[in-house]
Amino acid sequence: MADNGSSSTSAVLSLNKFSNLECKNLHDYLRTRPQNILEKLYNHPTICLAVYRELPELARQYVIRILFVEQPVPQAVVASWGSQAFSKEHVYVSKVLSELSVWQEASIPGGLLGWILSPTFKKNLKITLLGGGKPWSMSSALDTDNKARDVAFLDSYSLERWECVLHYMVGSQQQEGISADAVRILLHAGLMKRDEEDGSPVITRQGFQFLLLDRHAQVWHFILQYLDTVEQRGLDLVECLTFLFQLSFSTLGKDYSTEGMSQGLLVFLQHLREFGLVYQRKRKAGRFYPTRLAINITSSAANKSAPVLDDDTHKGYIVVETNYRVYAYTDSNLQVALISLFTELMYRFPNLVVGVITRESVRQALRGGITADQIIGYLKQHAHEQMLQDSRNPLPPTVVDQIKLWELERNRLTYQEGVLYSQFLSQADYNVLKEYAQTNGHLIWSHKEKRTLVINKCAHDDVKKFWKRYSKGS
Amino acid sequence: MGPTKRGTNKGEKSKKRKKEEDEAWVYEEEDNETGEEAAVPNAAARDAEKNDQNVIEDEFGSKDYRDQMILKPDNASRPLWVAPNGHIFLESFSPVYKHAHDFLIAISEPVCRPEHIHEYKLTAYSLYAAVSVGLQTNDIIEYLKRLSKTSIPDGIVEFIKLCTLSYGKVKLVLKHNKYFVESPYPEVLQKLLKDPVIQECRLRRNLEGENDDLITQVQEKKNVPNFTSNAPEQSGDGVTSVPEDITNFYSKIDNEEDDEENALETVSFEVNQEKIEVIQKRCIELEHPLLAEYDFRNDTINPDIKVDLRPSAVLRPYQEKSLRKMFGNGRARSGVIVLPCGAGKSLVGVTACCTVRKRALVLCNSGVSVEQWKQQFKMWSTADDSMICRFTSEAKDKPMGCSILVTTYSMITHTQRRSWEAEQTMKWLQDQEWGIMVLDEVHTIPAKMFRRVLTLVQSHCKLGLTATLLREDDKIADLNFLIGPKLYEANWLELQKRGFIARVQCAEVWCPMTQEFYREYLVCKTSKRLLLYVMNPNKFRATQYLIRYHERRGDKTIVFSDNVFALKHYAIKMNKPYIYGPTSQGERIQILQNFKFNPKVNTIFVSKVADTSFDLPEANVLIQISSHGGSRRQEAQRLGRILRAKKGAIAEEYNAFFYTLVSQDTMEMAYSRKRQRFLVNQGYSYKVITKLSGMEENQDLMYKTREEQGQLLQQVLAASDIDCEDERMPGEGVRHAPSGSKKIGQMSSMSGADDAVYYEYKKSNSANKHPLFKKFRY
Repeated sequence: MADNGSSSTSAVLSLNKFSNLECKNLHDYLRTRPQNILEKLYNHPTICLAVYRELPELARQYVIRILFVEQPVPQAVVASWGSQAFSKEHVYVSKVLSELSVWQEASIPGGLLGWILSPTFKKNLKITLLGGGKPWSMSSALDTDNKARDVAFLDSYSLERWECVLHYMVGSQQQEGISADAVRILLHAGLMKRDEEDGSPVITRQGFQFLLLDRHAQVWHFILQYLDTVEQRGLDLVECLTFLFQLSFSTLGKDYSTEGMSQGLLVFLQHLREFGLVYQRKRKAGRFYPTRLAINITSSAANKSAPVLDDDTHKGYIVVETNYRVYAYTDSNLQVALISLFTELMYRFPNLVVGVITRESVRQALRGGITADQIIGYLKQHAHEQMLQDSRNPLPPTVVDQIKLWELERNRLTYQEGVLYSQFLSQADYNVLKEYAQTNGHLIWSHKEKRTLVINKCAHDDVKKFWKRYSKGS
Repeated sequence: MGPTKRGTNKGEKSKKRKKEEDEAWVYEEEDNETGEEAAVPNAAARDAEKNDQNVIEDEFGSKDYRDQMILKPDNASRPLWVAPNGHIFLESFSPVYKHAHDFLIAISEPVCRPEHIHEYKLTAYSLYAAVSVGLQTNDIIEYLKRLSKTSIPDGIVEFIKLCTLSYGKVKLVLKHNKYFVESPYPEVLQKLLKDPVIQECRLRRNLEGENDDLITQVQEKKNVPNFTSNAPEQSGDGVTSVPEDITNFYSKIDNEEDDEENALETVSFEVNQEKIEVIQKRCIELEHPLLAEYDFRNDTINPDIKVDLRPSAVLRPYQEKSLRKMFGNGRARSGVIVLPCGAGKSLVGVTACCTVRKRALVLCNSGVSVEQWKQQFKMWSTADDSMICRFTSEAKDKPMGCSILVTTYSMITHTQRRSWEAEQTMKWLQDQEWGIMVLDEVHTIPAKMFRRVLTLVQSHCKLGLTATLLREDDKIADLNFLIGPKLYEANWLELQKRGFIARVQCAEVWCPMTQEFYREYLVCKTSKRLLLYVMNPNKFRATQYLIRYHERRGDKTIVFSDNVFALKHYAIKMNKPYIYGPTSQGERIQILQNFKFNPKVNTIFVSKVADTSFDLPEANVLIQISSHGGSRRQEAQRLGRILRAKKGAIAEEYNAFFYTLVSQDTMEMAYSRKRQRFLVNQGYSYKVITKLSGMEENQDLMYKTREEQGQLLQQVLAASDIDCEDERMPGEGVRHAPSGSKKIGQMSSMSGADDAVYYEYKKSNSANKHPLFKKFRY
């Protein structure tokens, strides 16, 4: 997915617009944690580094400038570092830094307000940048593994594990199942829900949207949902988070020891193993390998750096033609299942699926809660390299337009609740009431000959009162 | 198939012809006339789709072919998949695309050819065409196997064998004015000769002491006519990894096409000339249809005509390729060549005539195109006025002694009394043995009409030309056995990319119905609905806006309307010239001349008379305001009016525009979708325009106010039933319309308060008319 960094961000951004599936980034997540948890987290240099990396550029600038200043810096001074033209950005990053408790307000003698970095954050950021402190808890002091695993193996392992989860969601039977724990997380996240009749989990509209996300966003979203549930399982959130951050800074293809890990962490490790974030040959193997899914999990999609997950395992495979044909070079059931969400499939060859996008198939998807933007985003994200030759629009613009039009045509009717007024005794009565409703903007519909009015429901009381007053007066 | 079709109408069961709803161009055909089924071999009815019936569907509803084929390890370098139902998918970005494309064009029908992946379909007809241009069963299967990414399903191998083994093995050849049945396979001829009917047809020259031996001869390599093409064959695409077996085999097949006749041994027997038609029919029944080939070089009886191509006539690569298919082995094969409108079909026709150099007959479907063909002949060849004779109701040149005759289908098949002069010409025409017959717009003629032409005129070789081998009623298949197989079909998108035809932006403009019109639309009966959505004021305004916009750009615009009421109303209101059925030939030519040369006439309105064969090279904008239902062919033909490559406009992304105006929420939307299917499959895409920017600000568009729109609505409601129908072409038969019309209206409108007028229509009773006048509409 090296080539679609920009498109996947747009998918995440557009998702944020819809209330359906909320997809938080690291900042959003930490912001909603209570202060004391943040304080605990900042005790770990790894977390400080991760948070620092994810800060907006301007904020990073500020942090570095005041990192070694031991007293509060007047707010006016900080504001003067940037040009006036960017004051909006300044206000924004100040807010971000405060929300994350990276810095806090402090009063300066003389009544001015100033900024000072929170002491724990400052201390630990210094450690990560300059070295020192205790070694990061994940030691690699191990004798060499006589059954060492290479990167290719880890990649295929993690892919397989992760696809198990996705397969379970789309309900394809061919794959082995997933543990009850994983099912619980899916249910908790609202990606699946229990069917009302037989109680078996079925996919929800958020679930569909989840499937159309890119792999990185999926894993991150899933893990966040998982973290929500850790405390119920008696695990320590801070401990788990810390471990996750450490994992994200580990090296691919290197093995790490489980020595010194608490009981809770070992349980957490087993969960990560199930989702394919780490590999362990045996539960009691004493060592584990992080996979691509875990590495860099905390960095947001926008600034993915070099080791992106499944760089070469997944090339774009979808060709969309101007005649609405879809050709997908794939033999994966999961991908076929995903495409079948919004296309009508016709033929299936060993390495190719032929389908066509029709009005009906798209409407089916729309009814299932998928939006046109998500369909388009998915097609764009997985466009075949031949499609990418026209870099401006990898998809035929007419097809994109048409999918959007199909979405729009569902929204042509608007509904408004109303109350019917009829059987007026005289035309004059009718006229008076109509006049009143019209001047106040409550009138929805009127018919002169039949003397009927439809009034906005919320204005019903008001109109009724007016009518009483009027009929008394006359 | 030689001059042989005389009176084949025996013993076929009569068939009622249903009026096809979608068919725009139905020629006069009376119901009580005895129809006949085209003589078509049984194998032609075979359909690979049936192989598909018991294929399991997978969980997603697609047909699962995975267990029927095995993926080859080097599949990435091979370009295609073959489905068990005969559909073939080809990657256009594959390094061996060019090879595979040439091969697939020969053996299958293109279904859709957009940018990346093309779909073809194997049919009985396409395979028949393949063998008739010289491909062998085993070569087809072998090459298909090599090109495919997977193994080929057994059903397909079976199908190819069934359709090709017996086809193309025997040829009917006219040499030195004797007919021979010829074949390189002695066993096939032996088999045929065992049939008593065929034995009767055989002609034995010297009866005494001659046994049943066949004439054996060794054919020398012929000099194949050379067609010059201005694009040199580019080579050197061996950079990418092409599996060796593909390239090896390709060069083998390629060479075969040229060296096919190199010392090929053939056997033949002579056929009694009177029995030609019997033997042809019998051979079809025996599943060995005779291919007609004309050995024009050895024809010494018919005189050569002195026509040559001018040196200025340079063939484009695809024109050359199509002609190579026709004259592949030094003889002329009969068949159909499919090229997009504007891609130079007439040059192909002219070149074919100049190659055969025997008397040529050109048939087209209107008087205007007769003139245009004459122009083409004079432009591309050395033929002059004395050699070309037009035979139409208006222009009757002296036919005797001319070498090229241009006429229309209806002139030939005319059944009523003719003038003495025309009678003479017809007689002369029937007495001739024509070397080549060129059939323009061959898709427009139904099989029966065509058969009538064949019984009247005799020619050695037939060349059909068309842009869209497509009919809504699937009658097109008959042409395969009446004229011959499809020899070549060009790829529209490729021609567009290489600049041989204009780059067209297709757009569908959605015009919302105004409230009043939509209310009427919902309540009124079907025939009036059409008029309501065509006369939608928003559509009128959009048309006016588009015309103005393009006139300012200096474009030449044609506006099409099938509905005459709308045509006249639009044209008169906007003060533009218009052409429709009743417009006389002289007036038509005058308007067209003005459109071509007068800078003040930039827009004309035409009805469907201009669908085909009106050559208007200047036009580059087309606006369609009403059309005939869901006819895909009409859409393609109309697009063809603006396809001729435009000069000096290379810089722009698009140099021609095709707008279809549809009224939103009406039947038109569904029709429009249906019409577009053909062009969409050729790779065109329609941009949907929901709002024309700047239209609202434009103050001086008509029908802006409610009052004006109301008046228009009254006019529409007052229109009679005939106005609601599409224009019918003369000879399309008379439909009996009720002679009065009833309107729903309020008393105030009837009394004239809404500017409405009370109309009464008197219809003369056409039942009492002389049959001669029946074909004119009153």
